[in-house]
Amino acid sequence: MKSSSTLSALFSLLVPGAGQFYLGKRGRGALIFLAALVQGYLIYWALDNFKIGQVTVANLQTSWLWLLFVLFWGWNVYDAYRHAQGRRSISWPGLLVIALVVYFIAWQTTDVRLDRLVTRFGNALKIGDDIIHPDLVTQNESGAWVPSENFYYIFGNIVPKPAPAWLVSLGLVKEGVEVPTFEAGKIIETIALGLISTIFSVIFAIPFSFLAARNIMSRVPDGTVIYYVTRTFLNVMRAVDTLIWGLIVVLWVGPGPFAGVLALTIHSIAALAKLFSEEIEHIDSGPIEAITATGANLFQTIRYAVVPQIVPPFLGYTLLRWDINMRSATIVGFVAGGGIGFFIVETIRKSGYTQYAAALWAVAIVIIIVDYVSAKWRERVLVGTTRVTTEPPRPFYKSLRAWFYIVVGMAVFVYFWQLCEIDLKQLLNPAPTLAPFVANFVSLNLSPEVVSTVVREMIVTIFQALLATTLGALVAIPFSFLAARNLTGRSCLSSWVYYLTRSLFNLLRSIEALMYVAIFFYWVSFGNFAGMLALAITTFGLVGKLFSEAIENIDSGPLEAITATGATRLQTIVYGVLPQIIPPFVSYSIYQWDINVRMATIVGFAGGGGIGSLLYNEYFPFSSYRSAGTAVAAIVIVVAVMDFASAKIREKMV
Amino acid sequence: MLRIEHLTKVYPNGTVALKDVSFQVEDGEFLAVIGLSGSGKSTLLRCINRLIEPTSGKIIWNNTDLTALSAAEMRKVRRQIGMVFQQFNLVKRSSVLTNVLSGRLGYVRPSQSLFNYFSPEDRQRALDNLDRMGLRDKAHTRADSLSGGQQQRVGIARALMQDPKLVLADEPVASLDPVLAHTILKHLEWMNRELGITVLCSLHFLDLVHRYATHAIALKDGRLVFQGLPQEIDDAQFKAIYGQEAERVSIV
Repeated sequence: MKSSSTLSALFSLLVPGAGQFYLGKRGRGALIFLAALVQGYLIYWALDNFKIGQVTVANLQTSWLWLLFVLFWGWNVYDAYRHAQGRRSISWPGLLVIALVVYFIAWQTTDVRLDRLVTRFGNALKIGDDIIHPDLVTQNESGAWVPSENFYYIFGNIVPKPAPAWLVSLGLVKEGVEVPTFEAGKIIETIALGLISTIFSVIFAIPFSFLAARNIMSRVPDGTVIYYVTRTFLNVMRAVDTLIWGLIVVLWVGPGPFAGVLALTIHSIAALAKLFSEEIEHIDSGPIEAITATGANLFQTIRYAVVPQIVPPFLGYTLLRWDINMRSATIVGFVAGGGIGFFIVETIRKSGYTQYAAALWAVAIVIIIVDYVSAKWRERVLVGTTRVTTEPPRPFYKSLRAWFYIVVGMAVFVYFWQLCEIDLKQLLNPAPTLAPFVANFVSLNLSPEVVSTVVREMIVTIFQALLATTLGALVAIPFSFLAARNLTGRSCLSSWVYYLTRSLFNLLRSIEALMYVAIFFYWVSFGNFAGMLALAITTFGLVGKLFSEAIENIDSGPLEAITATGATRLQTIVYGVLPQIIPPFVSYSIYQWDINVRMATIVGFAGGGGIGSLLYNEYFPFSSYRSAGTAVAAIVIVVAVMDFASAKIREKMV
Repeated sequence: MLRIEHLTKVYPNGTVALKDVSFQVEDGEFLAVIGLSGSGKSTLLRCINRLIEPTSGKIIWNNTDLTALSAAEMRKVRRQIGMVFQQFNLVKRSSVLTNVLSGRLGYVRPSQSLFNYFSPEDRQRALDNLDRMGLRDKAHTRADSLSGGQQQRVGIARALMQDPKLVLADEPVASLDPVLAHTILKHLEWMNRELGITVLCSLHFLDLVHRYATHAIALKDGRLVFQGLPQEIDDAQFKAIYGQEAERVSIV
């Protein structure tokens, strides 16, 4: 017994985790080994790249963080020793050291400068003032308040224009006569981008989803191969953010709304196809069996057993995607042109912060409405109508309302189609920039300088996301209790608190992190810190909503039971509430970190640092497409790994 | 007449679900199939209409070997074989009427059925069958808003739409409240006696076998261990089928 405990301690002394591994605790051993490896690399990397923790000991440049590393190593030996004796070990010192090292390096690389928040607070006040005074109205000569030019630019205006061809050919007006025409504003164009790209992506996602559904492909010869190829392809497409697709499609069809639609569509096809294919995999095989048993053929079986099962969830996911696409459509203009994003870039460039504020408010209103409508419709589609009636339903072609919706829908579609300047011929006739781009892009630049730069910026991006998640989530916790119905009670004041907090969450999460960057670079100047703060604000809104819903969903049974034992209110919270909310809180935070890594890859497009600024400011403007390929490959790998890891961790937690 | 000869089913993972099973069912019989869970009852019923492909053996129904038929020919035969399932297997989001009408799919023109078109006669028959099941007023509600017993009656109405000569019922009452079991089995009994449909029904409770079946077979680990009249299942037979520790339980 004695010898075994010394032996395992010795093993762990030589290689971290080896003792635990030897004792049969393989998972723990592997984790400790991995943690030591990552820590060691990070400390070395931080010293090498940023001189973080640098100290000089007898002419030797080294990092004091190695002291912490030694502590971790020591804890690992102790851990192995305790386990070998069959006693319980304590994990928190090891975790604490890891957290210290990671957060210290993250703090330094993200360039967190809390002093700037204070010393440059004047800038914050200035921009805050601009935000509550958006450029929407102006006083004319007679002193009356009228919509400003900026208002018309955002929402649209009615101007006289030469009559369109169809009015002339119908004989309603003569050629050349000017008629009042609605000139769509940037926000209308954004709505068009979101809608058209959603329609396109559904059309393409459906066939892909069948190819990526395991239960379907396992029945087809060579189907498993097709399944894996499609899955991998979709995962790669999905890992690349819409805005990075924007950079690429601009080289294909040139900047403009059409490029925006393309970028949105490509990312959205991949995301939807994944969700659709999972839905197909969860289909109930019972009805298929029953319909087959009646002697129906394959097409009839699909029509009567498969289609009724998948249409509602497909519609639900489409509505969800519409919501997400609308959000992305507000920023796709940053790189691809089209929509309000392009307008925002212009206003920032000209430091027109009141115009920027007007656009921000317009976006917030539209997104809050879309979010609400999409959620309501989703609920209706997924729950469906459980009407109890003896009357047969009226076929849709006999109802006037259905025809009204069809006609309006078609008109909107045609109008939006024109607004997005859709030109499918252009796809087959790409700009001359595309061919050299693709050739360079796929032949990655793996020279040491480029790789080390890309890796450096990638790690910075991950740290940005980590700090933003931590900050946003920590601040969101107290607020989320205020926004939980079951805890706030029903009194007048607490209702107000509830609605105010909820609205704050909704308002803040309706605006993409990319748009917040402008506020923060004015406050704390360009760079990683501004990007991190922008991410933290959206995180606060998103996580706050999820947290408060998690609190609302707690089971009241245990609370009742603990109160019944005579426990105090605080004891009830500690023993009844906390155990129920900690797992979902941690799970949502990990999920949000995963999302934030994706978002952090693009905050650089607005001056928020990270790998996005490398792509946007260095590689794409100077046509270093081979290096850009390396950066995008790094993003794909990191996002895919994060996606997989966060899904696995969350699965284990539930 | 249905004759099963040396039927064997081995699943791809190596599980032997049926081992050399042979028996015979005369037209108009109500045959109960008994045995423990996993004894091969479901596999046997599904081999008859080839929802599961048998590994070897023959299934001869009215002088046709069903195992030798092509997929298209088998579909024609399936039209005459109704099936009732333990989990009802209704399309939950479709209306009750559409679920019942889907029993007609093997007979109608495929192109028309794709647009949910069924002839007025078919619709009338569907309503009549629902009426017989006491569910006429539920025709236009969604299938999942019905209770379990009601859903199973919709399943029977769907099978009736096929004009079946044979009905395969796979544990039709196992997911239902015991009180409802009799309602469902009475409908099957009615189909058997009044319409002359041969019924093959797997059941758990021996009481129900005594009450409804005219003949019985028992499976154990994929082998046929009993064939005869329900009354012939005595205590010794019972232990042989269900194992030494088994106790008889009854159902009201």
